[in-house]
Amino acid sequence: MHDDADSNSVSRRDLLRLIGASAGGAAMYHAMSTLGFADPSPFKGPVDLSGAPAGTSILILGAGMAGMSAAYELRNAGYKVQVLEYNGRAGGRNWTLRGGDTYTELGGATQHVGFDKDLYINPGPWRIPYHHHGMMHYAKRLRVPLEPFFQVNYNAYLHSESAFGGKPQRFREVKADYQGHVAELLAKATRQNALDAAVSKEDQEKLLESLRAWGALDKNYAYVASAESSERRGFAKPPGGGLSARPIPSQPVALSDILQSGLWQGVASGDTYDMQTALFQPVGGMGRIGEAFGRELGPLIRYNAKVTAIAQDASGVSVTYVDRVSGANAQTVRADWCLCTIPLTVLAQIPMNVGAAMASAISAVPYASAIKVGLQFKRRFWEEDDRIYGGITYTDMPITNIGYPNSGFLSGGKGVLLGAYIWGLNAMEFTALPPEERVRMALEYGAKIHPQYKEEFDNGVAVAWHRSPFTLGCFGMWSEETRAKHYDDLCQIDGRIALAGEHASFIGGWQEGAVTSSMDAIGRLHDRIVAQGAKA
Amino acid sequence: MRPRRIELKPRRIEPRLRAAALVLLGLGSAAGNADDSLFTSSGGVEKLNGQQIYEHICAGCHMSGGLGAVGAGFYPKLSGDKKLVSWEYAALTVLNGRNGMPAFGLPSDEAQQTRAVQLSDAQIADVVNYVRGHFDNKFKHTVTAKDVTGLPHPASVAMPN
Repeated sequence: MHDDADSNSVSRRDLLRLIGASAGGAAMYHAMSTLGFADPSPFKGPVDLSGAPAGTSILILGAGMAGMSAAYELRNAGYKVQVLEYNGRAGGRNWTLRGGDTYTELGGATQHVGFDKDLYINPGPWRIPYHHHGMMHYAKRLRVPLEPFFQVNYNAYLHSESAFGGKPQRFREVKADYQGHVAELLAKATRQNALDAAVSKEDQEKLLESLRAWGALDKNYAYVASAESSERRGFAKPPGGGLSARPIPSQPVALSDILQSGLWQGVASGDTYDMQTALFQPVGGMGRIGEAFGRELGPLIRYNAKVTAIAQDASGVSVTYVDRVSGANAQTVRADWCLCTIPLTVLAQIPMNVGAAMASAISAVPYASAIKVGLQFKRRFWEEDDRIYGGITYTDMPITNIGYPNSGFLSGGKGVLLGAYIWGLNAMEFTALPPEERVRMALEYGAKIHPQYKEEFDNGVAVAWHRSPFTLGCFGMWSEETRAKHYDDLCQIDGRIALAGEHASFIGGWQEGAVTSSMDAIGRLHDRIVAQGAKA
Repeated sequence: MRPRRIELKPRRIEPRLRAAALVLLGLGSAAGNADDSLFTSSGGVEKLNGQQIYEHICAGCHMSGGLGAVGAGFYPKLSGDKKLVSWEYAALTVLNGRNGMPAFGLPSDEAQQTRAVQLSDAQIADVVNYVRGHFDNKFKHTVTAKDVTGLPHPASVAMPN
């Protein structure tokens, strides 16, 4: 917070103007961050790659967000770029399954997506926080339109099978009641002088005032059924017009019931930095960004290329690949340098002559297990019956999430829900089931929140990330211990090879981690190339 | 910054759903990851025997019948895998993980951070015996919990301050 009346602000602004005039935008941005005027962001615009030595070639492995953002910048800077991609499409985990698509997982099970036209599920990333400046930047640059993603919907549910008889509770009510009761308790403690040692008398007055406002307390600092509390948690009978206009306040749930339910755990679901409003999604599915990158890079990407060996020597890097489908037709491409964005699960199995430090780092990171299930229903009952428009319901059942579509509201036709977003042990167990069983289980669980499931179900698709042929897992799961031991070794350039991807970031599992790791890696590669001179 | 973790009461599970949800309810989300499960379960496999562990956990990657799979990388085929002649190799792989395969013998704090599943030494012995005695593998030697306990387990690395 920076108050304009603050006498410091004028001089600070002058200082920034001075820095901007003398040192350029990047320095000004840096100074702004230091002075607290801007969000500190790892992405500060496209990396400066000026002075690329003519004819220098860089081979990029993987056409996901990391590989393609790097290819885009390096190509624009004048490097000779080629990209090898395992899949027959661009995007990697930036991926949307739409009606008519087919997906074959490891083990051979093939799913034909039966969704209606324009309906889809994002098996991988599905939202972009506003401060993921790298992803926002490329969406804009590639002209991929964005629309809001509702992380928090006050009318969606928090649900526990062991609370309130398994009846889902509105987020709005749980939040209001939790906050109201806590405010009342704190007000009570303040007025009973229990906080005298910690809070001055002057501050106590302000504290009480703020608790009344924050918790919707009445004039006696009590959280009770009232117009004030109902303005937060909703009315038993909402205000209307005419003779039936008079509102009837609703009755708050008792503190003990809220505490014992565990549902308070969901109250902060939009408070973490990555989940704070505003968040976005590309119109038509997350995969629109990968597709746009693919079009932009065109023939620079060779598809269906399965990398089988990576070998560097004093003058360059040779990469051997075979046709993904036939496993035949081995070819070798050579470049001066290599940026490898292949997921570590896969890279750990590819012969590559890097030093022991990077090799151990590559083998040290297990991949998270995760599942997403998309369910198409014959009508959008969550909107028509439950008045839930976008956002997420959280539950303690293994499905963990029900994600409602953030577009096409009240469109009258069918709709697709994210019916499950499963992690950890449950994800491993779901992975071991055939896809149709995963869908069936998601329906069984989800029907406990939305009984309409049974009647309205149309078709579904289930993606288990450990069965994904191109990643063999969802994302790199670093622990503090493995990070301390291996992270820097993973990110250092080894001879002529640098790695990038979400696994080489502190924003694991987010596309922004892939983009920022790539910008960081190609910036360092470029510096080394320039320092060594052309073709050195 | 690590989020607080709170254990909740065990969840009641309908018998027909039990097969895929042999878990207790816990809470934990990994800081800085895209993990969005506010409530998801992360523990409670302690009742599974070797065969159940294989079918519910290992088979997700190594497939039914230990057939393995090949994509950009591969999941080793366990059926007829000559490396299984060494029970130590098999047990150490389960304990420590290998090439992206998760470790099942992590210390609790690290297991929780990475949503890993913890198996006891007895369970690891049991699942190793199951794999070495099925899928056309006919290794006779029975591994005991004590054998597994005697192997090096993954340990927490002291964090620099």
